[in-house]
Amino acid sequence: MSEGDIRLEGLVKNYGDVVAVDGIDLHIPSGEFFTMLGPSGCGKTTTLRMIAGFERPTEGEILLDGVDMSSTPPHKRRVNTVFQNYALFTHMTVAENVGFGLRYQKVGKDEAMQRVRAVMEMVQISELGERRTSELSGGQQQRVALARALVLEAPVLLLDEPLGALDARLRLDLQVELKRIQEQLEVTFIYVTHDQDEALTMSDRVAVMKGGKIEQCDVPQKLYEEPNTAFVANFLGSANLLSVEAKAAGAGCDVILGNFTLKSDSKPEQAGVGTAMIRPEYVKLEPHGSEGENRVPGMVEEVVYMGFHQDVRVRLANGDLVRADVPNDGDSPEYEQGNAVAVHLRAANLRVLDDYPDEAADDTADDADTAAV
Amino acid sequence: MSSAPTEQAATTQQAKSPRFSLGNPWSKPRWLTGITWVYILWSLLPVLLAIRVAFNEGRSRTAIDGWSLKWFFGDNSFSVFGDPALQDALTHSLLLAGLAMLIATPLGIMLAIGLQRWRGRGSGPANVVALLPLVTPELVFAVGLFLLFTTLLSTIGLGTTAQVIGHVTFSMSFVVVIVRGRLVTVGPDVEEAAADLGAPPLAVIWRVLLPLLAPAIAASVLIVFALSIDDFVVSQYLASGADTATVPMRIYAQARAAPLPSLNALATLMLLFTLLALVLAYVVFRFMTRGEKRGSAIEQIASIDSGGGR
Repeated sequence: MSEGDIRLEGLVKNYGDVVAVDGIDLHIPSGEFFTMLGPSGCGKTTTLRMIAGFERPTEGEILLDGVDMSSTPPHKRRVNTVFQNYALFTHMTVAENVGFGLRYQKVGKDEAMQRVRAVMEMVQISELGERRTSELSGGQQQRVALARALVLEAPVLLLDEPLGALDARLRLDLQVELKRIQEQLEVTFIYVTHDQDEALTMSDRVAVMKGGKIEQCDVPQKLYEEPNTAFVANFLGSANLLSVEAKAAGAGCDVILGNFTLKSDSKPEQAGVGTAMIRPEYVKLEPHGSEGENRVPGMVEEVVYMGFHQDVRVRLANGDLVRADVPNDGDSPEYEQGNAVAVHLRAANLRVLDDYPDEAADDTADDADTAAV
Repeated sequence: MSSAPTEQAATTQQAKSPRFSLGNPWSKPRWLTGITWVYILWSLLPVLLAIRVAFNEGRSRTAIDGWSLKWFFGDNSFSVFGDPALQDALTHSLLLAGLAMLIATPLGIMLAIGLQRWRGRGSGPANVVALLPLVTPELVFAVGLFLLFTTLLSTIGLGTTAQVIGHVTFSMSFVVVIVRGRLVTVGPDVEEAAADLGAPPLAVIWRVLLPLLAPAIAASVLIVFALSIDDFVVSQYLASGADTATVPMRIYAQARAAPLPSLNALATLMLLFTLLALVLAYVVFRFMTRGEKRGSAIEQIASIDSGGGR
């Protein structure tokens, strides 16, 4: 049996009256790149810290390869952590930092040296061995932190926003590298971030968290294409949210938007008043008067130039505002304020969500807060 | 932005009227600079005079009278190294300072770590109490200790032991302040990281925490030394006789009886020791935290300096 299988069962963490983690059940199979994504305060870091052993769960179990380890102290757990601010030992050289943990494993001196050298090569810091950590750049420090954790060859690696302090360019490079290392070593990665791009590009599966609970957990594509709630829809990419009434019809449902009845391929948990979602890139603008299913007339209210695309905001005939991404590829027409258009909301991409409209409104407000962070 | 034209206006205005005027906010604060220098000179003047007298040729402690080193090393029995009483005082002062250093520093470190970790009921008051000696009037503190050692703890009684305990008690607060400042800079993450990498609790302290605290520990040792060697009130109250007299006590006593420039010579030596300890504390701290972000080190030294004025 391969190692690194993590199971969380009914995990709860309270700080006094504050509930930080509110009942999490998860199974992360061996070798998966699993990401916990959410705004600050959603409980993702607390969950990670409980897996590492820095916090004790109020309730619930943490199983590593079937063995509960919620009462094992951190230094005896076979998991290692990469910290957000690296937490390097500034009184040691890079090589001493990397070799730190090997002292507490039954490893001969020669083997230890060899492993330190190998892991430093893997994260491309071979030349930095004798440097002091204060002489390193942010990206280099991040590599040292990674090497220090990887050298112990634990079956599970926990990463707490490891790229959070780096600039955008470096972050992209390191994302690719982290993914490469994870695939090469076949180690279970549990990655915590509030950056949706990181979550989407690296992960095998993503759990979107909110208020100490998992809102939705799935593969990135499914999460993005088929969010269940407005919170998930907004947190991953941008979304147009429309208040609608849904009626079951065949394999999908009918979506009633003001005076218009649209088709959706999605099947909500329950019919009735709800929220429909469509991504701006799926909103197609057609010449005024085009006929067909799922077309709503509207008028261009604002056009924002975004570089590779334009953000066209269209007021629909029922009063709702919808954003459409129009690519600047030379083929698409250019829109101006006041243009009359027909908006095509394709049935395949129009999705009725599970939550109720007022709940959805709350989520949008939450999201506005986190977007500013 | 608009700052460039404003600066230009300022320089032209200054060129026109170089004198200070309340209406000109861009003029240099000459008055403040002047007052500062007057203060600095005024505060140094008595010290410099006292030092000057130590190098007197004659016996006068009230007039400047030639140059010599005879009150330091002279063969007459009144010089610092000729008078056995002054020498004993110096030895005793150094003994007290050494013991205070060795005892107050480890205790202070432990107290600092404990206070830093302690969350919840009682931690607030404990924090205040630990720092109370910083603000307690020294006389009150000394009288209290005197009563303690003459009544409740009369088995210990007055003398060297009581003096050491007294010095340790008040200087520990300074150690706590310095070490806690460093603990905040170091942060809790490194300890978690060490545990995460497999280090058992004792190894975390020994291999990670203490080495990272080293600059604060070095600074603490020297500050305790400076505080102890400087102390008069506590030493005086807890002394049991001539053999437990410290340098400040000896200077005070003789200044009333038979004042000679040798007292100034002794005081000059004390000043030298204290200054040396403080400068060393600063330099060692700076050296050991080199390469780290500057702000924190300066803040910590600032807190040492302001505390040292007691």
